[in-house]
Amino acid sequence: MKLLAVTSCPTGIAHTYMAAEALQMAAKKVGVDIKIETYGSIGVENEITEEEIKKAHAVIIAADTKIDKSKFNGLPILEVGVQDAIRSPKELIEDAMKLEKTKKYVEKVEKENDTHKQSKKGPYQHLMTGVSYMLPFVVAGGILIALSFAFGIHAADNEGSLPWALSLIGGGSAFALMIPILSGFIAYSIADRPGLVPGMIGGMLSSQIGAGFLGGIIAGFLAGYTIVLLKKWIKLPKAMEGLMPVLVLPLLSSLIVGLLMIYVIGTPVATINEGLTNWLDNLQEGSAVVLGFVLGLMMAFDMGGPINKAAYTFGVGTIAAGQSSSVMAAVMAAGMTPPIGIGIATLLYKKKFTKEEKEAGKAGLVLGISFITEGAIPFAAADPIRVIPSLMAGSGVAGALTMLFKVRLAVPHGGIFVLPIPNAVEGVLLYSVAILIGSLITAIMVGQLKKPME
Amino acid sequence: MEIEKLLTPNRILFDLKGGNKEEVIDELIELLYKDGVVTDKKKYKSAVMKREEQFSTGIGYGIGIPHAKSDAVSTAAIAFGISKDGIDFDSMDEKQVNLIFLIAVPNKSDDTHLKILSFISRRLMHSEVREKLMKAKNHEDVISSF
Repeated sequence: MKLLAVTSCPTGIAHTYMAAEALQMAAKKVGVDIKIETYGSIGVENEITEEEIKKAHAVIIAADTKIDKSKFNGLPILEVGVQDAIRSPKELIEDAMKLEKTKKYVEKVEKENDTHKQSKKGPYQHLMTGVSYMLPFVVAGGILIALSFAFGIHAADNEGSLPWALSLIGGGSAFALMIPILSGFIAYSIADRPGLVPGMIGGMLSSQIGAGFLGGIIAGFLAGYTIVLLKKWIKLPKAMEGLMPVLVLPLLSSLIVGLLMIYVIGTPVATINEGLTNWLDNLQEGSAVVLGFVLGLMMAFDMGGPINKAAYTFGVGTIAAGQSSSVMAAVMAAGMTPPIGIGIATLLYKKKFTKEEKEAGKAGLVLGISFITEGAIPFAAADPIRVIPSLMAGSGVAGALTMLFKVRLAVPHGGIFVLPIPNAVEGVLLYSVAILIGSLITAIMVGQLKKPME
Repeated sequence: MEIEKLLTPNRILFDLKGGNKEEVIDELIELLYKDGVVTDKKKYKSAVMKREEQFSTGIGYGIGIPHAKSDAVSTAAIAFGISKDGIDFDSMDEKQVNLIFLIAVPNKSDDTHLKILSFISRRLMHSEVREKLMKAKNHEDVISSF
């Protein structure tokens, strides 16, 4: 653990240095590393670097002058008068060590540094914050669902069994939190803590109205900027200011975001879903290859949103009678290629992904072969304009090829785990070819389109 | 560190007579005035007292370090006095003060002087330095304490 400190006094002659020395001695006694910047009449000495801020646990500011705290943005700060550091340095050190240092602080600092380097800021940064919080939910939840599938694709139906439990943890809980976390932390990045409440609620609503992760992104930005505006507009008398963070902001922002999600986003989402279902019915009369291609595009467009759902429901409908269908086969193939394609891209184009993304890419391979399309969501959310078309192209081709090869599928989900089921798939080999080609198309497109990391 | 440059033999009183904070500060200012460091006693004292009003420079541990930056100071200097009985200095730890360092800094001072002052300030936080100072009998003892 390393602490940072800044000491400063009005004349900058004696107390600044006494406080620094007192803290240094106390830190030594406690056994913790400390770096102390002094603002004296000599000027700034022993200046704290950006690198040190990134690695530090907390900052003690012992000053009776104004210290610019912006450079410590995100680090927990213990602010006291300079004489407190001289009088009770040991207590200060111990208090500072107890300060919470959560991961988000580090990320915030790193993110800001990234922003300097890439001169990207604003919405992109907020989106990335949301995605980086969502990512582990997707990976953990997806792998748990895949494990549940490994017991047999219907094993989870048996309440109380281990596969049922795995599915409840992964699908029922981790995946249920995925979009609220995405929206919540987009809003958090925009508006700090008050953003979390309307963000998470908006994200939850997006799931419930079937607006998927794209609806979640909208909810996140809506929530964040709603808080920013509310803070600007609402001025409470000093005595009532305490009500702002606990009552006024969460209540009003949740109400505003919630109503907008339900009536402004929710209604068109339902209409889109309905319209697409009718359209697919008509399309069924025409060319099977075209239908496969369209279903593929739809599966990859919003992964869990209204368009994906229309395609998936349509596919499941064709097997409802208990017979195998080529439409279902196309839908599953198109749902498998996005995470597989992304996974391959992270292996082929190492310079275009962050360390975190590369790890998630490997998990994406597992999720892809298990037909857990959500594995691609973090990548799509982080860079929608480049990633979504790549996913759609790969899925579209996989869907079309499946139709062309006349592959048929008798079960609604399960990915690679359907293979042991007798007669579940007709044309396994060609099916694999279709999925592989689709995945490679996605991988190459993503690799070509994405900008290299700096 | 060349502490003796700032704290010369004629800037030390081993037996302060003053019974309170102000009297002791007056005694030490007198030393610096005689030495030609402080050109305007009244002006410098008001700067010191103004600084004391912000919060006492009795930092605890039996030490007081009244100080001020003023154009009534010709060159950076320290006057040091020991009060055997101890005086009330409105210290943070409410204890009596025995060691008093009066620091005078001109408005424009070069960094070497300021560095010496910061060094002294740091050293004063160490108990062994304070113990040696309490027992100091002459200028050499004081300097070697640091």
